[in-house]
Amino acid sequence: MTPYAFLAETLAEKYEVDRDAISPEATLTELGLDSLTIVELLFDVEDEFDIEVPEERATFETLAEAAALVEELVQAKGA
Amino acid sequence: MRGRRVFVTGLGFVSPHGEDPAAMFERICLGESAIRMVRSGTPEMGAHVLLASIEFEPGDRINKVDRLFMARAAQMAVVATRNALEDSGLMAEGRGPEKAAVFMGCGLGGAEVLQHSYSTYFERHTRRGRPTTVPMIMASGPASQVCMQFGIYGPAHTYSIACASSSVAIGEGFRSIRDGYADVVIAGGAEAMLNDGSVAAWEAVGVIAKEHTEGAGTSCRPFDLERTGLVLGEGAATLILESEERATARGAECLAEIVGFGASSDAHKLTEPSVDGQERAIRNALEDAGLPADAVGYINAHATGTPAGDLVEIEAVKRAFGAAAQAVAISSTKSMHGHLVGASGALECGISALALHERRIPPTANLTVPDPACDLDCVPGVGRDAPDLEVALSNSFAFGGSNATLVLRRA
Repeated sequence: MTPYAFLAETLAEKYEVDRDAISPEATLTELGLDSLTIVELLFDVEDEFDIEVPEERATFETLAEAAALVEELVQAKGA
Repeated sequence: MRGRRVFVTGLGFVSPHGEDPAAMFERICLGESAIRMVRSGTPEMGAHVLLASIEFEPGDRINKVDRLFMARAAQMAVVATRNALEDSGLMAEGRGPEKAAVFMGCGLGGAEVLQHSYSTYFERHTRRGRPTTVPMIMASGPASQVCMQFGIYGPAHTYSIACASSSVAIGEGFRSIRDGYADVVIAGGAEAMLNDGSVAAWEAVGVIAKEHTEGAGTSCRPFDLERTGLVLGEGAATLILESEERATARGAECLAEIVGFGASSDAHKLTEPSVDGQERAIRNALEDAGLPADAVGYINAHATGTPAGDLVEIEAVKRAFGAAAQAVAISSTKSMHGHLVGASGALECGISALALHERRIPPTANLTVPDPACDLDCVPGVGRDAPDLEVALSNSFAFGGSNATLVLRRA
């Protein structure tokens, strides 16, 4: 599953975000996640892709930005 | 000190005998045990242990996302409180009375979350724990979640006093209404520490019952010569307490009245109970209620089924009651629902309220070979009708020597 697909699926399933509202441009705050929930989501991502998101890199706002960061970290891990 | 009268206008349970108060009370009066032998823990380190555990499923009663931030104890507290608010008729469109105060007891908090966070640290060799860890572990989680779930804006207090936690919560909630600080109190307790790390710690104390030859369900045997210890349970219980004025004004059904609360400390040993301390709690409670010992028809004992503890309580009752001890019925319902630790006082206070309401005294199950030293009327086997029952006590005596006794009267 791609990072974006995983994020979208987790938001819909675990965090009960309306699937219609989920898009690459949507920000996590717009989707109704508070700061604690966003960090919780990051842990879901880290577990799924076996990566660690450095705190200083967790500056994304939109889903597309989050997905791009995860992809970059996954590739860096494989390199 | 006399102040306003305080009534129980709602009961809610998540108990080893289910959630429905009438069905739960019936099963307990029939002497039905909820204790089973359960496989606990990891394949490598786990064991078969006696537990009164619950197949708990909040379903759509708690929003799935909210649940991510609630330990098991908090989830149980929320469901028990929902049940109690519905029972009291105080729930409107999912909201409770916003001016209510919350008084909750909890011994350990999010025990399974604590276990998980430590195992992450040691097994995955990382300092990175989930951000929800701390708010889920804290013992005040259940009280806070109750406020958030039902829109309660009054103070939310948590009492963490081991096995006496929720009796003290109810007692202090009672005082809060009696003394005019609140009109409605959501009082109770929750405990869910049957994760194997916690169970193993309890085993180390040396107070856990061994499986009895008559079957796992008969292993908790308070006042019996063959008693070997306690069985841990889990769950939550909530009582809705209301001032007489408020309950009367809205025509609420009153299940019982709380009329007294007494507390004391042994100042003796951490795990060895003292007759003096327990006697003081019982005397303080009766004095607070302004009732003589011979007014009491039933005592829901703390009696966990340990060889030493049950004897001390019998002795304390004898001393506090004097001649009246021979006439009072005393039973330990822990023989069936196990020891819910921080939730035990609330569950047993709820059972005592039902006993008064139904005028039916629940039994001590598995009491087949009475200990000659426990020579009071310990209601062996099955419950009995008590047409004259007016007053009941509920005892909770904790590790650390903290003692609490509640006095209830039929409403």
